[in-house]
This record gives sequence, C-alpha cells and structure tokens, in this order.
Amino acid sequence: MKNKDLFRVIIIYFLSIFFAFVVISIIAVLFRYDVIKVLRTLLTTSFKTSFGFQETIKKTIPLIFTTYAFTIPFMIKFFNIGGWGQMLFGGTITAVVGLTLPKIGINLPSFIMIPLLIITGILAGGFFALIAGFLVAKFDINPIISTIMLNFVAVQFLNFIATNPIYRDPYEGHPITLPLPKSGTLGFIFGIPYSIIFAIISIIFVYFLIKKTKIGYEITAIGYNLDAAQKYGINFQKTILITFFIAGALAGLGGTFEVINIHKKLIEGFAQTSGAQYGIFGVLTSLIVAGNPIGVPIAAFLMSVLLVGADALQRTMQIPVEMVFLSQALIVLFIVTFRERFLRRK
Amino acid sequence: MLNFINSFISQTITYAVVYTLTSLGIVISGRAGIFNVSGEGIMLASASIGFIVSFLSQNAILGFISGMIMGALFGFILSYIHESYKVNQFILGISLVILGTGLSDLMYKLIIGVKLTAPRAPKTPIIKIPYISNIPIIQAFLNQDIIVYFLYFVIFFAWWFYYKTKIGLETRAIGENPKAADVVGVNVTRRRYLSTIIGSMLIGISGAYLPIVITGTYTPDISAGRGFMAVGIAIFASWKPQRAILGGFLFAAIEVIAFRLQVISQKIPYQFFLMLPFISVLIIMMIFKKQIEFPASVGKPYSRE
Repeated sequence: MKNKDLFRVIIIYFLSIFFAFVVISIIAVLFRYDVIKVLRTLLTTSFKTSFGFQETIKKTIPLIFTTYAFTIPFMIKFFNIGGWGQMLFGGTITAVVGLTLPKIGINLPSFIMIPLLIITGILAGGFFALIAGFLVAKFDINPIISTIMLNFVAVQFLNFIATNPIYRDPYEGHPITLPLPKSGTLGFIFGIPYSIIFAIISIIFVYFLIKKTKIGYEITAIGYNLDAAQKYGINFQKTILITFFIAGALAGLGGTFEVINIHKKLIEGFAQTSGAQYGIFGVLTSLIVAGNPIGVPIAAFLMSVLLVGADALQRTMQIPVEMVFLSQALIVLFIVTFRERFLRRK
Repeated sequence: MLNFINSFISQTITYAVVYTLTSLGIVISGRAGIFNVSGEGIMLASASIGFIVSFLSQNAILGFISGMIMGALFGFILSYIHESYKVNQFILGISLVILGTGLSDLMYKLIIGVKLTAPRAPKTPIIKIPYISNIPIIQAFLNQDIIVYFLYFVIFFAWWFYYKTKIGLETRAIGENPKAADVVGVNVTRRRYLSTIIGSMLIGISGAYLPIVITGTYTPDISAGRGFMAVGIAIFASWKPQRAILGGFLFAAIEVIAFRLQVISQKIPYQFFLMLPFISVLIIMMIFKKQIEFPASVGKPYSRE
C-alpha cells in the first residue's frame, strides 16, 4: 500500500467514526441525555476497571471467530451471514457431546475431553456452513439467503436441545441444560478465559492459511479475478466448499468456547443475547476491515470496546444498547461509502 | 370443514400480505437492476415506527403511512449511496439490515419505553362488501382489512404496469440492459431511484402490518426472517411479479400450516415446525434451480461511460 493510500484510509476511518459519533450525540441531545457522559462511558469503560477490560476480552474472543467466518468467504466474494448459526450449531453440538458422554458412563479426563469438544465444535460448525457452501456450489443459491435461513434453523435446534428433557436442568426456570462435567470446561486466568489462547492460534492459523498455503493462494486468486483463476486450473467449486468449511469451523469453535468456557452449559438465551450479537457484529467488523484478515483482531477488539461501553450505558444511564448497534451500522455505512468514494476512483 | 377452510384461507391471506408485499417490493427494485437485500431491516424499522405512530395517534392508517415513509427513506438511502458511490449492493443491503434492526428497538425503547402491559395497536378498518362478503370461501377473501384490499390493488397494478404500459416495459428493459435503455432515452438513474423507493415503500407497509394487524403489539425482531425469505421468493420467482405473488401466498400458507401443525402435533417437537418455512425456502430454490433467471444487470452498478 502506498503512503498516500494509507493516509486516505486513516482519514476515511477517522471521518466515519466521527460522523457516527455525531449521530449518537444528536440522538443523545434529542432525548436529553448528558452527551459528554454518554461518549465518555462508551469509550472508556473498557479501560477504567480490570472488570471492564476482562469483559472486553470476553467479547473480543467470539467476535474474532465470527468475523473470520464472514471474512474468509468474503475473500471469494461470498457473503456468509451465517456466522451466527454456525456458532450456535457448534456450541449446541458441543454441549450435546459434553453432556451425553458422562450420561452413558464415559468419563474422560480433561486432556482428552477438551480436545474432543473442540474438534466437535470445529466439525459441527464446519458441517453447518458446508450446507450453504454446497447449496451455492451445486445449486447456485446465494449464500446470503441460505446462511440466513440456516441461522433460523440453528436457533430452533438450540432451542430443541435446551428444552429437551434429557439435557434440561429441571430446577431452572428458563430452558437451560445441566452443567457440563468439570473435565469438559475451561477456566479463567486473571479473569480472562483460557480460550484466548485458541483465539490467538486461530489468528496465526488464518494468517498462514491465507499467506502461505496453496488454498490461501487460490482464495486470493479467485478474489482478484475468477475467470483468470479458473483458466489457471483452480477448482472454483472445491474452493467454495473449503472456504465455507473453514469459516464455519471457526464460527463453530467460537460457539464451543462460549459453551465450555463462558456459560459452562447450554442456555437457550445464548441464541439471542450473545449469539445474535456476535453474528451481526462479526459481519460489521469484517466489513469495517474490508475483509482483510490481518485487521480482524484489532477491529474486533475496538468493536468490543464499544459493546462493553454500550452495556455500561444501559446499566448506568438506561440508554438502550441499540443506540450503539445503530452507530456501528452507521460507521460501516460511512466507511464503505467513503472507501468507494476516495479509494476506488480511477 | 367449511369453517376450517375459511379460517385457513383467511389467515393465509393475512400472512400473504407480508410475504407478497415484501417480495413484490424486492422484485420491483430488482427489475430496475437494484438487488435489495435489506428487506428485513426495512420491515423492522417500519414495524417499529408504524406501531409507535398508530399507538400514539390511535389511528392504524397513520401507522401504515409512516411505515411507508420509513420504507421510502431506506429506499432512498440505498439508491442514493449505490447510484452516487457505486457501493456494492449486498454490502449496502446488509448494513441497512443491521441499521434497521438497531433503529427499530431503539425507537421503540426511547419513545414508548418499557411498559408492564404490552401496548395494543388500534383496530385496522375492515371492509365488507354487502351480500358478497357473507358467502363462504369468498368471505375469506373479501372480509378483510384495508391493507388486504391494497394488496389486491398492488397485484393488479403491478401486472398492468409491467406488461401493459410503455414505462413498465422500459423499466423491465433497464434490468436487462441498462445501456440499451439509456440509448433510447430512458433516464436509468432516475428509474432506479424510483423503483427502489416505491419497492421499499411496499416493504415498509408490510413491515407496519406485522405489529398493527398480525400480532397487535410490537416485539423485538418481529419480522423473524420474513424479509430474507422474501428475497428468496423474489429469486425463485425470477423477478417476475406474478410468480412473486404466487410465492408470497405459498409461503404464507406454509407458515400457517407450520403454525397449526405445531398446535396439533404431540410427537414432533414444535421447534421442527418452526424450522419448516426456512427449510422450504431452500428446498424450493433447489427445485426451481433450472428455471431461475436473473435480470441481466441486477446487482451491478450502472455508469454511462
């Protein structure tokens, strides 16, 4: 990237975020909230207390996974809106495996159980995304449609497991499964979930996948020019399937860690509270970095700062969290518009 | 039995308003070359504003009008950003979905707030045609609220416009070949604006219909994926208005059937019935794969050089 371009990119991000905050401020003024306090809460909650920082990291980890789930198919110009569903499906199947094994008398030690559950999440999420990949490769069904339809299927499936008498905790008012066995859960270190290690591994994995492997090279080539890539003998259909599998596997992994590290059981509300958030914000975060896999962790962290700030706004000032969702959608709209305006002009 | 058929058809028509208006809205903008995937966002934003206005004014019609205006606003944003900056229509659409989702709950929480009992929307006027509206079966069609009649009008108008008028033919031509349409003097950009805005207005009305008529109150995420299913309908209808209408009624029927089976069935968990409409979208798209055609320019930006 040339220096002049880099300068423009910085200006674009700055302007977009600035405009989005202007919109937030206008809404805050209209509904008689203290604007300075709103902005301060939004931006600094993550850094003021260690609890705020831990919360930010807790949100960053799943967000990294769902952002990659959108980013990798986006590199070959497909929209995987299904990060949400793949995450839920991965988490649900993980919970099923984790709860069923001790029930049928198999008690595995931690060092077998954890890898087993992680592989389960990878396969379940990957399989779920592969349905959409198959539908586009064989039937030419736009993944925007198929992944969203599958999201709703995954929500109902989670619901089915959480309310199922075999798994359900009879003493809970809401549909929640029994807790996972101790050997199937991960802990925290200084309030930060162990899954951060796997998030970092995934970042390195995606980097190597894109930059150093044949499949990464093929993905990049298709992204630049599909016709040319096919002329050079790249199998487009196969690449679609592989990208969707990887995307779903990462999202599924995100779901697995939510289940085994954060909740330690399967909660029906997971679909709406965290799942929908990470699914939607995964798409937004990825659009902010223009599908560039290297920028994902940074953008995911900044996005989480705003999410934690939004929670704080709701708690302390009773401002609906949706205000921040709105502003983030606006940031993306501004960024894609400015990017088109200032970078692609020939 | 007659009663059962009657209530089934009547309920299907109520849901068909949502599916048909939304998919027609998507078809209308697609005909001019704009692939509007933001239906879900428009529906949510319009549902929220429509409910708020109708609740505060105690007038359902005002609610529908404000939903329509919200739709027009979204349509304008979509066509303006796309036409002026050539931003990818899918990226734009997805961002607008998220914008609409955030906006809908935000408006509701800021203006109505949290209430102990869910506020109810005012009654929508029902139109009865003397004598005819009492005949069984026909009763299901002609003993409905005003928006259902609006749907009948839109169906007729869309057919007449696209197949019987010169402007309609020209608009179809834009979707197929914008350059050729431009050469013969059609203002492509203006038509794209108009088509997207009018299409989004229809989506806005269908969004407002959800809280005002179908549920009677506003709940978060009220459209529950129907905006995206409508995109599926528009695709498998190959952007043909008549097929989009059929598709709208078909999915309305599927939703009603799934809903009724869920009540009757004891053995199969209800969640699987709730999956049914979404899975049928995919299955129907697979079945009709061979017949699906896209207007050649849909999804692509147009510039004159």
